[in-house]
Order: sequence, then C-alpha cells, then structure tokens
Amino acid sequence: MPASLEDVFLVTAAAFVILAIFVFYRAVVGPTTQDRLLAVNVLGTNTVVILALLAAGLDQAWFLDVALIYALLNFLMSIAISKFTVERGGVL
Amino acid sequence: MSLFAYSLAVFILATAVATALFRDVLSVIIVFGAYSLGMAILYTFLLAPDVAMTEAAIGAGVTTLLLLLTIARTTRPSTDRLRERIHLPAVAVVGAFVVLLCTAVLPEMYAVGVTDAPVWRNADVTQYYIQNTYNDTRVQNAVTSVLAAYRGFDTFGEAVVVFAAGVSTLLVLKREVFA
Repeated sequence: MPASLEDVFLVTAAAFVILAIFVFYRAVVGPTTQDRLLAVNVLGTNTVVILALLAAGLDQAWFLDVALIYALLNFLMSIAISKFTVERGGVL
Repeated sequence: MSLFAYSLAVFILATAVATALFRDVLSVIIVFGAYSLGMAILYTFLLAPDVAMTEAAIGAGVTTLLLLLTIARTTRPSTDRLRERIHLPAVAVVGAFVVLLCTAVLPEMYAVGVTDAPVWRNADVTQYYIQNTYNDTRVQNAVTSVLAAYRGFDTFGEAVVVFAAGVSTLLVLKREVFA
C-alpha cells in the first residue's frame, strides 16, 4: 500500500515528538532557569506544530482550536516566568 | 500510528518523573508545564479536543500563574541539591500498585467498539439517547446534551463551584496587584 499524505503527516508528527524528548533533556539538565524556560518555550512551539500536523493527519479541523489556545497560553506562561525571575513578586 | 503514541508516552513519562524528582520549586513549575504540553497532545490524539483545551487552559495558564504567585508571596527555598533523594520503600509500593493495575485491571477493559461491553446490556438506554437527544434538546452533540440538559442540575452545581473558585482567585490576584 503506498504511503498516503495523511501517513506522511503522522510520521512527521512522531518525529517532532521524538525531537521533543531531546529538547526536554535541556529542560532537565539546565543548568540555569533561563535554559529550562527556553527549553519549555521551544516545547510549546513544538506542541503547536504537532497539533497542527495531527489536525491534517487525522483530518480533524477542530484540533487547530487546541493549537491556537496552546499558542496563546504558552506565551503567557513564558512571560509570567520571565517576569518572576527578573522582578520577584511582580508576576501580573 | 503506534510510533507516535509510543514516543509520546516516553515524553510524558520523562516529564512526569522529572517533575517528581526536581528539588527547586521554580524548575518544578517549568517542567510541569512541559508535562501538560504532552498531556494536551495525548488528549487530542485520543480525539478529545475539549479535554485538551481544558488541559491547555489549566496546565499552561492557570496552574503556572497560581504556583508562581504562591512562591512570589511566600519564599522560594534555596537548595544545593538538584534532585530529590529517591525514597525506595515508596517506589516499591507505587511500583507494585502500577504492576497490579497493568496485570489485573488493564486486561479486563473492553476494546473500543466491542458489542459485548456492559454498556450494550442496556442497549435501550443507549439507543434512546442516540436517537432522541436532538429532538429533546436541539443540541447536536449527544455528550453535550446529556451534560447540559438531562443532568442540568448537576452541571449547575459544578458551575457554582467553578464560579466560587474564580471569585476566590480574583480576590487573591487583587491583593497581589494592590499590595
């Protein structure tokens, strides 16, 4: 059976998940908080890409709503942690 | 697509173990954000985008902010050790429980779409909801119609709880801003 376009999307999504495991290695070993923050930010962008690939591969357009919400909230999380490390207490 | 599912499981397991083992509170909050990213992808992959949206809102947004506010208003304990010491008896108990779940409980679960599952023993009830929800409630999704119409009072109680939680969160945030 020839590989369809949906399978290509799903295999690419799997490759992105494997990439996420290696990015998470940076979040674990650090050594500074900035390293961990950047690693989780990259993971969040990675998540949005994976969700978009899943939306194309499984042919479910509503997955893109989840990707949009995650893009917004991942940015919020990075901003909050950055502000916390710069000015203690001024999270909001 | 088993390659995708297996690599996702490895990712979620790694993030969960890291969240449990880190000693520094700020690192735990950051790594927990990565865990919630993996769970959101898993919920989406299992065709439950509504749960994935909730996980995105709670995991990446609300939990991170509330935990950061907590350590901003209290203290962030400084530690020289990176990882928590592993408590072997606790690991043994939890491991035995997981093995018990995998060997005794998982084989008892029914596969998706099997017709001798217990839900089909009351086929009349299932068929009633599938056939009549749209005429009764004018809602196209059967799960939504059960939640919002057939057991509406129950959902109303949950909404009251969520409203109370939101009001108390606003109180905490206001004190944070005007302190």
